[in-house]
Amino acid sequence: MSEKPARAIKLNVINEPKENYKGGPSSLCPGCGHDQISNVIITAAWENGIEPHRIAKMSGIGCSSKTPAYYLGQSHGFNTVHGRMPSVTTGAYAINKDLLYLGVSGDGDSASIGIGQLIHAIRRNMDMVYIIENNGVYGLTKGQYSATADIGSKKKKGKPNETQPIDLCALAINLGCTFVARSFSGSKKQLTSLIKAAMSHKGFALIDVISPCVTFNNNDESMRSYGYVKDNEVTLHMADYIPHFEPVTEVEIPEGHFTDITLHDGSTIRLETISDSHDPSDAMAALTALHQAEVGKKHVTGLLYFDSSKPSLAEDLGLVSTPLLDVDASDLRPSEDMLKQMNSEFLGR
Amino acid sequence: MDTIVNDFTINIATANGTGSQSANLILLQSLFDMGVPVSGKNLFPSNISGLPTWYIVRLSDQGYQAPGDRTHVQVLVNKATWEEDLASLEPGSVVVWNTDSKMPMDRTDVFSYPVPMTKLARSLSPKLAKLVTNIVYVGVLAEILGITDEALHKAVEGQFKGKASAIELNKTALELGRNHAKENYTKGDPYVVEERPIEKDRFFFEGNEAVALGCIFGGVQLLAWYPITPSSSVAEGIIGWIPRLRTNDEGEANCAVIQAEDELAAAGMIIGAGWAGGRGMTATSGPGISLMQEFIGLAYFAEVPCVFWDVNRVGPSTGLPTRTQQSDLAMLYEGSHGDTQHIVIMPGTVEECFEFGWKAFDISERYQTPVFGLSDLDLGMNRWACEGFTYPDAPMDRGKTIREKDVFEAMENFGRYRDVDGDGIPYRTLPGSGMAPILYRGTGHNPDGVYSEKPDDYFNLMARLKDKINRARDDLPAPILREEVEGEIGVVYFGSMENTIQEIDDMLEATGIKVSQCRVRSLPIHSEVESFIRRHKTTIVLEINRDGQLWGILRRELPNDIVSQVHSVAYSDGMPPRARIYADLILETIKEASQ
Repeated sequence: MSEKPARAIKLNVINEPKENYKGGPSSLCPGCGHDQISNVIITAAWENGIEPHRIAKMSGIGCSSKTPAYYLGQSHGFNTVHGRMPSVTTGAYAINKDLLYLGVSGDGDSASIGIGQLIHAIRRNMDMVYIIENNGVYGLTKGQYSATADIGSKKKKGKPNETQPIDLCALAINLGCTFVARSFSGSKKQLTSLIKAAMSHKGFALIDVISPCVTFNNNDESMRSYGYVKDNEVTLHMADYIPHFEPVTEVEIPEGHFTDITLHDGSTIRLETISDSHDPSDAMAALTALHQAEVGKKHVTGLLYFDSSKPSLAEDLGLVSTPLLDVDASDLRPSEDMLKQMNSEFLGR
Repeated sequence: MDTIVNDFTINIATANGTGSQSANLILLQSLFDMGVPVSGKNLFPSNISGLPTWYIVRLSDQGYQAPGDRTHVQVLVNKATWEEDLASLEPGSVVVWNTDSKMPMDRTDVFSYPVPMTKLARSLSPKLAKLVTNIVYVGVLAEILGITDEALHKAVEGQFKGKASAIELNKTALELGRNHAKENYTKGDPYVVEERPIEKDRFFFEGNEAVALGCIFGGVQLLAWYPITPSSSVAEGIIGWIPRLRTNDEGEANCAVIQAEDELAAAGMIIGAGWAGGRGMTATSGPGISLMQEFIGLAYFAEVPCVFWDVNRVGPSTGLPTRTQQSDLAMLYEGSHGDTQHIVIMPGTVEECFEFGWKAFDISERYQTPVFGLSDLDLGMNRWACEGFTYPDAPMDRGKTIREKDVFEAMENFGRYRDVDGDGIPYRTLPGSGMAPILYRGTGHNPDGVYSEKPDDYFNLMARLKDKINRARDDLPAPILREEVEGEIGVVYFGSMENTIQEIDDMLEATGIKVSQCRVRSLPIHSEVESFIRRHKTTIVLEINRDGQLWGILRRELPNDIVSQVHSVAYSDGMPPRARIYADLILETIKEASQ
C-alpha cells in the first residue's frame, strides 16, 4: 500500500494553520447568517496573521453574542451581560491596551438595551472592532421585532413593523465614529475586506452586518431576508484589503477609478468605484447614501465613513506606554517613605 | 455663674453656596489646634445655592463626636430657618445673630449677641460681603468663647494656602468681628473654650479622602465612576493624587480614570479590568449599587475581582441625598438576583478607611470575587481626627493568577473553575497570555469554564462559591471588642456608629448598666462575633437604619440557640446619630428583653 503524501497545510504569515483560528461547533439554526460571519471572522484573523491569543472576544447576550464560542478557540473571551459588552471591553482595554478587542453584538444588544453603552464607546473612540449581526428580530426569545426592524417589513408571524427603526450606521456617523461600514452576511468578499480593515484601524470600528434570521425573519415580506437583501443591496464600492506585509506595488491595479485608504497598521483598503463614487471622508455623503437607501427600501453596503485624525481612548487616558497589566508592583504602590512624608504634611496643613 | 468649659455644641445656620463652609472649617480647625476635642458636621441640602445649611461644632473634653442632643450656641444668618432655629433653643442658650437680616429676635430667655454682620462685611469689601459675613461671625464667636488669634490665624493660613490676599482679607474680617464683640458686649453666658495640651499628633481628615488615598496605595489601576453624592470625593481624591503618587517623570500615569456614562457602565468597566488582570474600582452610593446589581452577579458568578465603595446615603430611592444612614448593608451582602453572598468591609474610622482602601484589592484578588467597602456620608464627608496612616503590612496579594507559562505547564488538570487546592478558590489565566483560553460567561459552567446546564455542574459550582466566601470569614477584618468583665449586655454595631458609641456607653453607665462593645468590620460575620454574643446574656444590635439589617443577617446566620438573645435597636431620621436617642432605645429594649 502506498501512503498518500500528506497535503501541505496552508500557513499564514506567522506560520499558523487556519485550524488555530477556529472555534467550537455552532448551536445556531442551520443557515443562520451569524455562522457565515463567524467564518469570515476566522478567515480575516487568519489572513491578517494576528496571533490568536492576542485577540479578546467580547459579546453581550443574544444569538449573536453566543458566537464567540464558534470562532478563535485560542483567544480568551467574555460573554458579558445584555447590552453591556462595551463597558467591560473599556475596562479590559484600560488594563491591557495591546490586545485586539473583537466585539460581536446583535440588534437587540446594540440598538435597544445597550444603545447607551455603544454610544459612549463610540464617543471615547475606544480601539475595538464592533460587529453588529443585525437581523431585525430577537431570536432567542422567539421572534419579537427589534429596534432595527424596517418600516413595512414583516417577520414570519404577526403584523408588519410600523415603528421607526434606528439606523446604527447613521447614529455612529453622527457620533463621529471613526470607521463605519455596512455589509451583508452573504457578501463574503466584501465583509472579509471590511473586517480585516477594521482590525487594522486604531479607534472604534463599527460594522453593521445584515444577517438574516432563517427561523423568524427570512420570509419574502421581510426586508432582512436573504432574497430581499440580495435583490436590494446597493454596493458603494468594491472593497479590497491589502495587508501591510504584502506590498501594495505587488497587487494588481484595477482598471477603473479607485481610492486607497491607509490604515493605522500600514495596511490598505482599496475602494473601487462601481458607478457613482463615494468619498468615505465625507460624513454628509455617507448620511445621504443611508437616507436614500432607506427611502428606496434598499440596503447600502460598503465603507460608509472613515476618519483617522481622532485620538483613540489610549491617547486620551494619558497612561504609561506599557500596558497597565505589566506595570511593576513597586510602581503601583507608592513607597513607605512617601506615606510618612504625607502624614507629616497632613499634620502641618 | 459657673462656666461650662469645652462641653457644648455650636450650631451655625446659613444658606448653601454662601461660602460659609470655609468659615466653619476655620472655626473647627482653630478649636482643634487649641487641643480641644472637637468634631464638625455639615448638614447640607441637595442644592447648589440658596437652601438651608447647618454646621454643627461639638466641643467635648470627653471626646464625644456625635452632634449632641441640643444646641448651646446658635449662630443665625439664614432668614429661611430663623424662626424655627430660634424657637427650638433651650433657655440659657447663646444666640449670635445678624441684625441686618431684619428678622425678629424676640427671645428674652437667651444670651443675645446682635451683630450687624452684613454692614461690617460691607465696610471691609462691598463686593465680597456675602463671603465675609461668615468670617465675621467666626470673629465674634472667637471673642465670646475665647478662641485665640494664634489658632485662628493658623487655620486661615491653612485654609487659603498661599493666597496672600484671601488670608489678609479673612484675618481682617476676624478682627472686625472680634472688635465688635469687645466693644459691644459683656460676656454673660457660661460657655468657654480652654486650651488643652496636645498629647498626640493628630490631623483632620475626611473618610472619603482616606479611602481614596488607601486605594492609591492599594495599586488601583482603573477608577471607573459616575458622580453621585456623597461618594464623589472618593473618586476626586484619587484623581487628585494620581499626578503626585502614580505618575512618572514623563507625566504618564499608571492608573486609568474613566468617568462612565452611568453606574452600570462603571461596574462593567471594573469587571473588565479585573478580567484583564488589573485592579479596578468604583465609588458610588446606594442608588448606584441598585443600578449595578446585574453586573455584581456576573462578577460573583464568573469570579472576577473588582472593588466597589458605597458611601451610604439615605434611601430608599433618591431619599435624602445629603443625609447619612447605614441602609445598604443587606443589599451589598446579597447583591444581584439568584443566590449570592458578597464580602463587605466596613471601616469605622478614618484610619480604617485608608487601611480598607488598599486591603479591598487584596481580598478581592485573593478570593476572585467582588468586594464592597461600605462607608457613609457622616464618615465620608465630615472631618475626623486622625493619628496618621499606617503603611500596608504586606505586599500586594494578586491571588491565584498564573502569569508565567512554566508555572502553568507544571499544573495538572487545570480548569478555570476547578478547585485544585480544596479551598474553593480556583486558578486563573489572563487574556493575552496564551494560557488556557476560556470564554468567560454569566451562564452556568463546568469546572473547565465550558457552558453547562448539568445538575451536578450547577450544584457543585454554587456549593463551591458558598464555601469560598465562607472561608473568607476569619480572614477578613476582625471585630473590635471592648469588653466589660462583669457585663451581661453586649452591643454589636458597625461603621460610623463608632463615633457615637462611647457617649451612648457613658449614658448607659450613668443608669447603672455596663455594656460590652463589639464593632463588626466585615461580612460574612467573623466567628468572634458569635463568641462575643455567647459571652453575653443579651446582645443589642445597634444600627442607623429602620429595619435592623445587620441584626437580620445575624439572626439568619447565628445558631438557633442564641438567636433569641439578639435584639435590634435600629433608628434613622437622616441625622448623624445622637447618643441620647439610641441610649434611650437601648434601655427600652433591655427592659423588654428582661421581661
